[in-house]
Amino acid sequence: MTKYIARRILWLLLVIFVVAFITFLLMHLVPGGPWDREKQLAPQVVENLNKKYGLDQPFLVQFGKYIWGLLHGDLGVSYIYQDRGVTSIILEGLPKTATLGLVAFLLAIFIGIPFGMAAALRQNSLVDYSSVIFSTIFASIPAFVLGILLMIVFSVFLHVLPTGGWGGISYIIMPAFALAAIPAAYISRITRASMLEVIRQDYVRTARAKGLGERIVLIRHILRNALIPVLTITGPELATLISGSFIIESIFSIPGIGRLFVQGVFQRDYGLIMGSILFYAFAIAIVNLVVDILYAAVDPRIRYD
Amino acid sequence: MFKTKILLPLVILMSLVLIVLSACTSTSPTTTSPVATKTSPVSSPTLAANQVLVVNLAGEPATIDPNKASWAGERSVITQVFEGLLGFNQDLTLKAETAVEIPTVQNGGISADGLTYTFKLRPEVTWSDGKKVTAKDYVYSIKRMLSPEVASEYASFYYAIVGAEEYNGAADKDEATRARLRDAVGVRAVNDTTLEIKLVQPLPTFLQLMALWPVYPVREDIITAQGDKWTEPPNYIGNGPFILKEWVHQDHMTFVPNPNYWGTKPKLTTLTYKMITDANAAFAAYKNNELHITAPPVGTEKATMADPVLSKEIVRYPELTTFAFQFNVTKPPFDNVKVRQAFSCAIDREAFVNNVRNGVGKPAYSWIPPGMPGHDPELGKEYAFNPTKAKQLLAEAGYSDVSKLPEIKFQFSDTAGNRTIAQFLQGQIKDNLGINITLEPMESKAFTQLVNAGNHTWAWFGWGADYPDPDNWLPQLFGTKAGNNHTLYSNPKFDALAKQALSELDNTKRLQLWAEAQKLVMADAPIVTMFYRERFVLVKPSVKGLKTTGMDGQISGDMFFKEVYIAP
Amino acid sequence: MEATATQISARPHHTLWGDAYIRLRRNRLAIAGAVIIVLIIIGAVIIPYVSPYTFDKQDITAILEGPSREHWLGTDSLGRDVFTRLLYGARTSLAVGIFTQIIILLIGIPIGAVAGSLGGKTDNLLMRFVDVMYAFPDILLIILLRAILGGSIFNIFLAIGLVSWVNVARLIRGQVLSLKQRDFVTAARAMGGSSGYRIMRHLIPNSLGPIIVLVTFSIPRAIFAEAALSYIGIGVKPPTPSWGTMIRDGYDVIFAAPHLVIFPAIAIAILMLSFTFLGDGLRDALDPRLRK
Repeated sequence: MTKYIARRILWLLLVIFVVAFITFLLMHLVPGGPWDREKQLAPQVVENLNKKYGLDQPFLVQFGKYIWGLLHGDLGVSYIYQDRGVTSIILEGLPKTATLGLVAFLLAIFIGIPFGMAAALRQNSLVDYSSVIFSTIFASIPAFVLGILLMIVFSVFLHVLPTGGWGGISYIIMPAFALAAIPAAYISRITRASMLEVIRQDYVRTARAKGLGERIVLIRHILRNALIPVLTITGPELATLISGSFIIESIFSIPGIGRLFVQGVFQRDYGLIMGSILFYAFAIAIVNLVVDILYAAVDPRIRYD
Repeated sequence: MFKTKILLPLVILMSLVLIVLSACTSTSPTTTSPVATKTSPVSSPTLAANQVLVVNLAGEPATIDPNKASWAGERSVITQVFEGLLGFNQDLTLKAETAVEIPTVQNGGISADGLTYTFKLRPEVTWSDGKKVTAKDYVYSIKRMLSPEVASEYASFYYAIVGAEEYNGAADKDEATRARLRDAVGVRAVNDTTLEIKLVQPLPTFLQLMALWPVYPVREDIITAQGDKWTEPPNYIGNGPFILKEWVHQDHMTFVPNPNYWGTKPKLTTLTYKMITDANAAFAAYKNNELHITAPPVGTEKATMADPVLSKEIVRYPELTTFAFQFNVTKPPFDNVKVRQAFSCAIDREAFVNNVRNGVGKPAYSWIPPGMPGHDPELGKEYAFNPTKAKQLLAEAGYSDVSKLPEIKFQFSDTAGNRTIAQFLQGQIKDNLGINITLEPMESKAFTQLVNAGNHTWAWFGWGADYPDPDNWLPQLFGTKAGNNHTLYSNPKFDALAKQALSELDNTKRLQLWAEAQKLVMADAPIVTMFYRERFVLVKPSVKGLKTTGMDGQISGDMFFKEVYIAP
Repeated sequence: MEATATQISARPHHTLWGDAYIRLRRNRLAIAGAVIIVLIIIGAVIIPYVSPYTFDKQDITAILEGPSREHWLGTDSLGRDVFTRLLYGARTSLAVGIFTQIIILLIGIPIGAVAGSLGGKTDNLLMRFVDVMYAFPDILLIILLRAILGGSIFNIFLAIGLVSWVNVARLIRGQVLSLKQRDFVTAARAMGGSSGYRIMRHLIPNSLGPIIVLVTFSIPRAIFAEAALSYIGIGVKPPTPSWGTMIRDGYDVIFAAPHLVIFPAIAIAILMLSFTFLGDGLRDALDPRLRK
């Protein structure tokens, strides 16, 4: 297993490099650049700006310089936020986004998995149908609408929560719920579907027939097998939640990094774009590695040969 | 069995929906809130105990370095912490701030040939750390703004200064040459309280340029020591009414009064800028008494005006911004002036402003907006909404059969407001001319690039004033091959008039020349003006002393926050 | 004696699919789901002939009105009838919802199944490719696609599909990894079945449950993705409506006219619910263990 992990980490570095290259390429191929404004800048000003940020150099030179900086832990400069480096921007916003993401993740699994299990164990009951209906409702409402609805109810109507900002539990509650809604719905349905698959298996019938207590059947047989698909989707959901949601952070004014990527793309801030992408790529690759390890832990039949 | 299992959750859903709907339509009085809401007794300025103003900057400013800044939000910050030689009154006339008086030919501030400007500084002006502001600070700031390394976006505005353009273009020259060019820039400190600036040629609007933020003084010692970090508190030292005490990135900024401010100190004890980017969230914050000022989301103005509480908190005033459609006059069918005029007659601007925009804004028939010298309210009316005339003009252009027209595409940067306008336009052209135009929403930068390269057919754009003068509104947009001329319009008569007006020192004659120039443009119709924008904001009744101007930064009244106070 | 024996052994012979169809027919919820989907399709097709309004007819004297007798679901910010636009918008949203799923499944299932069952280097390579795709800056790719290919509606299916298949691939791979050691797979291999046969006949049908959930959840996701993409010019151009764009446009004026958001959201919920019941029914019907 350690050899496997070591190999995966090497691959991770390669993946990050490939992602960096593709992103760098795409960024420069996309029409429009950071200095294109409606009120066009004077040509001399544009020339000065290009020179200042090294944009007048050939593509590979720019990429090389970026990778060199990356290896030294320097993520470059931001064109939007000219007085702060990308590294410090991300480091400042990351704890907030990550905290929010983690809280949302925990909400999602502690709501989603139990609901899904209950629905599967009592198939076609009221619990089952209402969990289906509610998960559908939450999946059909886009996050921004849910966020605003929560804000209207709890801030505008009831005045019990602040509309946005950062500084304590009361600032996390609404965005965390808004963020967690769709993943919770999704996780609950996957859990249910996966458990239903497993419940019908012969070995479950065998276990029950053997007279084993329901709880043991549940834990040792049903859950371990049912968890595979749940793990598969939960991993990426965690990575997505941690890298932040543009929409929720915008609505609730969370000073995190979720907004950075989209802002960067729309304003062609190459530093922000690369920084956000690399961070997300890293998070995803690590999470997928962890998920793969957990597969083997949960299901002893899984081998990585 | 089937029915009940579906009905019950549906009923729950419906009740949730009803609750939300009722919540939307009611506003309730507040109990715990940071913002006072009781209205004050009328006349005397009694101050509430809590002199805290909380407003929304709507986003993190990119840079608050006066030499580098260009966006409205950045201006909102800079005008609190810094003050320049000159400034604007509420009616947009010039006033002297840190200068003793406005330089004129009479008082010797401007030389007779219009090439030398001498500013006398007030000796009592100090930085917030107590040091005196001297002429050297202005010299340093202007030269820094013009330096190629700083790459200021407004540098080109100051090319009238001797040596400015050469210095700004010296990016690839060596150190020695750059130092030499820097010294050759025509700005010098005659003594601690006298600043002298030399121009290459007379520029009648130069004083207005000196009232803008890129030439506010900055501290050489701090910038040299801290580099880019100088804009973070506590290094961000200015000479204005407020100090930036705290900046939590992406979250908020806190200002407190500057104890060493030379003028009348602000009555506020704290000024807070929040950074709420979502329009609905800002509105919710206002309703939850977390903000004193906000703009209701675009499109909800009618509901706001009908709301019993909110309707009393509305503050409206015109902005110096015009929105128009710009044709590419080299692309058929818009290479034919009669076609352009026909399109102008086919659009019902009144209906747009009154119905779609709920009366916020004014229909525009000419380019220069009201409140700006040179505005002509009578100009352009011959191409007002008139469907019969529109069809006639089209026929005169040779297109009585509209199917002969080439495909017409309308490009726009895809935002909510633009989409509405684009679809409105499409409907109007279809209803009034029988032509089907294709809408092409584009991603913002891709759109900008398209237009800047002159590849568009017909596009939507807006223009806001950098300073209140036609100088800023006509030559860059309509001069042949001018920097912002994306209609590719070219008229030698216009160019001649512009050249004359740019250096005409007699103000009356100058404005007359610009008026002629504008008439030319409107007759040739390279653009179809649509409306002048109006600011429509909500202000809590406890906020007093708010002075709004047509050149406000991001936040309404931010040019005069030092005069605002909260009534109990 | 012989008669009863013959009776018992003379069970009617159904194929997997024939049997599935019979079982599906008996599932009332699934049928309800299918019926609703068909009704939406019919509504979307006949609405131009039935409604007194077109989807783009502006009436600026009737802006942002609530439901009324003339406008059953109210009007939007340019005075257009919401009911007509909602049904017309079903065309785009159904198309996006369904066709992107097909692309996702066509790409994702083979890749995931191959990776899981073959294991080793193939698995590693494919999954690292999936890692890159996950981090892939899809907005950038999409802006680029738009600039190169133009903004036709088919590019929407392609664009969304190309960046979304990774979840299906990983899901299938995970299932296959855990299933491939199981007895019935070993038995199939022992019987001489090729890997392709094993994948198609055994591994995939047993992984269907979570796949179906993913598909039903992907439908609203695709609808919202389409709305986001139409903002940068890919897909339907205004004034053509779609449920996603109607919600996003309605969000801007939610304080003044919440009905503009509520009705399309309900429509999406109904569509998703219908696919959920239908999908569940399909899964139950295809489950070999429930065969009679």
